[in-house]
Amino acid sequence: MSLLPLFEWLGRSLLGAFMQRSSYAFAAAEMLHLLGLAGLGGGVLMINLRVLGLGLTVEPAARLAKELLPYLAGCLATMAATGLMLVAAEPEKCYYNAAFRVKMALLVCAVVFSALAQRRWLERKAVAVISLLLWVGVGLAGRAIGVI
Amino acid sequence: MLPFCQWLYGSGLGTAIRESIWIFPIIETVHVLGIALLAGTVSLLDLRLLGFILKGQPVAQVARQVLPLTWAGFAVMAVSGFLLFSAEAADSYGNTPFRIKLVLMGLAGLNALVFHRNPVTRLRARVAGGCSITLWAGVICAGRAIAYFSKQP
Repeated sequence: MSLLPLFEWLGRSLLGAFMQRSSYAFAAAEMLHLLGLAGLGGGVLMINLRVLGLGLTVEPAARLAKELLPYLAGCLATMAATGLMLVAAEPEKCYYNAAFRVKMALLVCAVVFSALAQRRWLERKAVAVISLLLWVGVGLAGRAIGVI
Repeated sequence: MLPFCQWLYGSGLGTAIRESIWIFPIIETVHVLGIALLAGTVSLLDLRLLGFILKGQPVAQVARQVLPLTWAGFAVMAVSGFLLFSAEAADSYGNTPFRIKLVLMGLAGLNALVFHRNPVTRLRARVAGGCSITLWAGVICAGRAIAYFSKQP
């Protein structure tokens, strides 16, 4: 099953029409997306570096993760909302963009992996390294959408 | 400063980065992901100053743990930022968002300096944290806007 109709529908929706017509909405959404990156990336980094023995080492990793969770969830929601706006602005370009596909696949892996790690294996160093690699991969692929 | 910008733009370093297809986007990617290390760590300290997170630990303790990573982030951003600047220095000089970004960074530094030089009170911590997180958000937005106002294709 192709997801192309979904992308086409998003482009024709109210949000798509707004994003394509406004001269400032795309730039504003991009800026908010970057602010979300600062918050989410910073938080993910600090939790995983904590497991590796760097940064916020006073609190146990599990407690640090629990404490930062609402903040990380807020940043992820901001990135998802602004990301949807950016896709709505140019849905077909995103659909056929290889970097976009890689990013979405890595994003699903990173979120699922983090959620599982949070439950059980958070304190293991290998888990922290894999988590960091997945999130950096999401960032790299995301940056590549505009380059390729 | 314009002659310096023009010299840097025309230098071997600036020219090499500008004329390579891959070097500029690679440095740019480092600069964008570096946001997480610099602004991400600063914002955690700011949220502690504002009293939103890590309330079980004193501010000084959080700062001592976070700031080495923040400085590492600053080094990554300064080096990658300087390399990007060298490729477009002649254009950056007159670029309004670039100028705004530099001013906001200066203010963020000044804010941190004033906070460190004075005795900590709850009000001072909140004001410093609020100013810092706002200024760094402004730095990121102004940084993104540089390309929108660039005269280069």
